[in-house]
Amino acid sequence: MSDRPTDVDETSPADETSPADETSPADEGDGRLSRPADERPPYVESTIIMTTVRVIAPFVLTLGIFVMFHGASSAGGGFQGGVIAATTVVMLGFAFGIEPVAAHLRNEHLALLVLSGLGAFLAVGFGAYAFGGSFLQFTLYPIDHGSKYSIELVELGIGVVVSGVITGLFFLLGAGVDVDVTDSDTEEDR
Amino acid sequence: MSLSLPVAAVLLFMLGSALAAAALRDVVGSIVAFAGYSFGVAALWSLLRAPDVALTEAAVGAGITTVLFLLTIARTSVSRSEAFEGVSLRSALAVVAIVVTVGATVPALPAVGDPSAPIVQGEVSQYYLDNAYEQTGVTNVVTAVLVGYRGFDTLGEAAVVFAAGIAMLLVLRREEFV
Repeated sequence: MSDRPTDVDETSPADETSPADETSPADEGDGRLSRPADERPPYVESTIIMTTVRVIAPFVLTLGIFVMFHGASSAGGGFQGGVIAATTVVMLGFAFGIEPVAAHLRNEHLALLVLSGLGAFLAVGFGAYAFGGSFLQFTLYPIDHGSKYSIELVELGIGVVVSGVITGLFFLLGAGVDVDVTDSDTEEDR
Repeated sequence: MSLSLPVAAVLLFMLGSALAAAALRDVVGSIVAFAGYSFGVAALWSLLRAPDVALTEAAVGAGITTVLFLLTIARTSVSRSEAFEGVSLRSALAVVAIVVTVGATVPALPAVGDPSAPIVQGEVSQYYLDNAYEQTGVTNVVTAVLVGYRGFDTLGEAAVVFAAGIAMLLVLRREEFV
């Protein structure tokens, strides 16, 4: 992130590559690659997108958590809710650039998050042994609606696993997209 | 089997976006058409009263998969020289053969909403519908089956997602994340 170019030259790709962008009719048919990645502008800051994402992101995150928690009573569950919650990070990445967002969430944190989700599932599963049951026997938990709450905890664990994995995949695939690809030090970066 | 108007419209939309995804030369347009196809599938699931599957399809198929495709294609070159793929005779024949082969199995399926279909008459699904609430305390039968009755399978699924995520972190990790 430190080697990110401060002033991204936004005008030069549009000006210099316009002959390449508008393919002349003579070139059609041979499948010529007319838009290589290093000619496209990198991340473009857009006030509209940033404002929209700022407004919607809390609602999307709330919806994701709702779907995760409410899977026991309505359509939804951990897988769906986890994906919706991860969409918040994806939207933030599109609005503010993937690298700056990724700088806040390191991969170790994501790995810990994913591990804690699976750990919650396993803990609920093994916890039934403590009450004389067998693996994943939710009905034995001695609290009111114990089975329902343990199922919801499991759903939450699944949701954390899914959202962590999707966020990590998004960062890993997206890292470098919004950095100028013609930057000289990308070669020794790999 | 009689198609209701919304289902027919969604099927038509799906057919069109599937053809567009296959025929468009522009990769970004193809990805968007594919997302539209996934959205059509999600709408179809919700019309067929499977909201859980519809939610999954909308979130994963139409949402995240599209984003990941776009990110991947953003790192490569995009061909924009022609509007549509050229269709050769051999590939057209192959497509027709696959469609005929798969389509030949369709009449073997029970009609949508057929009351004599095995899934409606089967003992197992009726048992879940009758006992899911008393045994698990969960009103959504899908969740009851997924986590309650088939919890071990779901644990396996979560473990697969977990393993895939960890493997991805190890394989795709860049130097700055070390």
